[in-house]
Amino acid sequence: MSLLQEEREIILSNEFVESFDFAEVTEFVKNASKDLFISHHFKNKPKGKMLVQPRGGFPTYKKQFELSEFFVKSNVDVLPLTIDSNTRLNDYATAQKMLRLSEENDVDMLNGYPLINHGYRTTRKMFTHFNKPVSLRHGTPDARLLIETAIASGIFEIEGGPITYLLPYSKNFPLDKAFLYWKYVERVCANYSGLNEPINRESFGPLTATLVPPAITIVVQLLEMLLSLEEGVKSFSVSFAQQGSMMQDAVTSEVLMKMARHYAEEIDCGDAAINLVYHQWMGAFPTNKDYAEQLINMSTVIAKLVGADKIITKTREEAAGIPTKEANAKTVANTQYTLGILNGLPKIVDAEEEEILTLEVQAIMEAVFNDPADTLWRKVFNCIKNGIIDVPFSPHIINHNNMITIRDAQKNIRIIDRGNVPIPDRCFKYERAQCDLTKDTTSIVNDIVHDIGIMQ
Amino acid sequence: MKVVTGVVGNDIHVVANRLIDLSLRARGFDVFNLGVNTYLEEFFDAAVETGADVILISSLNGEAEGWGREVRAIKSRYKTLDDIIMMIGGNLVVGSGNAEDIEPRYKNYGFDIVCHQIDLNTGLDMLEEFIKERNNP
Repeated sequence: MSLLQEEREIILSNEFVESFDFAEVTEFVKNASKDLFISHHFKNKPKGKMLVQPRGGFPTYKKQFELSEFFVKSNVDVLPLTIDSNTRLNDYATAQKMLRLSEENDVDMLNGYPLINHGYRTTRKMFTHFNKPVSLRHGTPDARLLIETAIASGIFEIEGGPITYLLPYSKNFPLDKAFLYWKYVERVCANYSGLNEPINRESFGPLTATLVPPAITIVVQLLEMLLSLEEGVKSFSVSFAQQGSMMQDAVTSEVLMKMARHYAEEIDCGDAAINLVYHQWMGAFPTNKDYAEQLINMSTVIAKLVGADKIITKTREEAAGIPTKEANAKTVANTQYTLGILNGLPKIVDAEEEEILTLEVQAIMEAVFNDPADTLWRKVFNCIKNGIIDVPFSPHIINHNNMITIRDAQKNIRIIDRGNVPIPDRCFKYERAQCDLTKDTTSIVNDIVHDIGIMQ
Repeated sequence: MKVVTGVVGNDIHVVANRLIDLSLRARGFDVFNLGVNTYLEEFFDAAVETGADVILISSLNGEAEGWGREVRAIKSRYKTLDDIIMMIGGNLVVGSGNAEDIEPRYKNYGFDIVCHQIDLNTGLDMLEEFIKERNNP
């Protein structure tokens, strides 16, 4: 038995898992309907068609089923399954208790679907019934058991990664462990990918959704993609969220996709499919629900402009808390409508911006590859530890937080203090030259506060 | 002036914490930022370790009251913290409440400066004013 299989046996002999039947799950994946695989849809969709995916997860099977049904009625392309916070932290006992309370009292006691407690036999019934691709949304540093259960349930897209599900979501979960646990996830996804259509992995580009400069977003996307492809994953989605400047979004997607293909070929993984996912605005939302809808609509236009393969939606109730299924379904229908009438968008090109961003990304990637560690994940680990990769507003103790960013007059995110990130001098000078830095430091801090809430 | 700051309890909201850090530095303070998800004891330990003059606690999710009420009891276990300035700010209750009720309650817990939903710069002006008055009574 391989070491991986031994580890799988250990992971799955968990008191909350009711006998995991490896042979049966393999048979299921082998014979599963192609429609359940998002990778199949990415490959076969008409050119220019963008898949629409909302967010959403409820504690009970009944409510999750109803939510999915609502989405299907509003012409959804990809169903979400958002996991509750206890499961994300591997606390299945609390999830179990809260699920029972939710079922008995008809009140939601969890902010998502506790997949481990429901189990794959039950959950599979729901998703084979709808026969739509499902995307697993969570935020789990140790997602080994969750991913095994998800694939066995017919969920063939897994979001997350060791960097993007840790730096924005945790204060002190050990980063080295996260890399190893995600390595397991990549391998399991890769192994299942040979049986039918590939399992798609997706990185979480928005990170902290707070003034993250495009160079950092792109580097993190590229590194998580490489860590995934080197384990044998054949279908991968890079992603980013609306940044606040249309030009910067256009340039970001251009550089991200060019470099993703370049680096995939560098490691002889040019055969893997690479998709682009765009998140509607992930920052603070306006409390005015009509304005929220305008913002969502604008995000959809930009998604089309940047040529996204999939868009992940927000709702008009975003500022108020967890949205209802009605609000969620409404966004899906509206987004499909907007996409249907958006035709003949021009391509925005800015050669100078593209050159600057490319140089920045190359410089950081080079610094990562030049780290003396023996494997890619250790190189990346070291580079986060020594601040070569620095994510603004990360709550994690390992993150340096020395890079400072601000918006220029066109609302582009600019780096005004690079910390230990190796932004080339020429680029750094260019970035700073776009901003008014003659003000005193208190005024600059006030500008940063304003820049975080620009859409409110 | 040395300030120990952080977000109290199981609260992971980091944006304001980073802005407090930046603003304090901009005003010339030495900042020791413990970040989010910090327990009350950790603030006092850090104050002893760094010789801080001020502890500035913040909270967004409103759980601060559960922790704040233990300030006197825990602080009394430390010998060198009698003169430290205790400040707290953010959303100081779960749900809604008004500052007139909240402020005296927190002062009673042992805080010198209490800022419930007050603008960051106003709060830091209050801190500087407090320090000035204490130095030149």
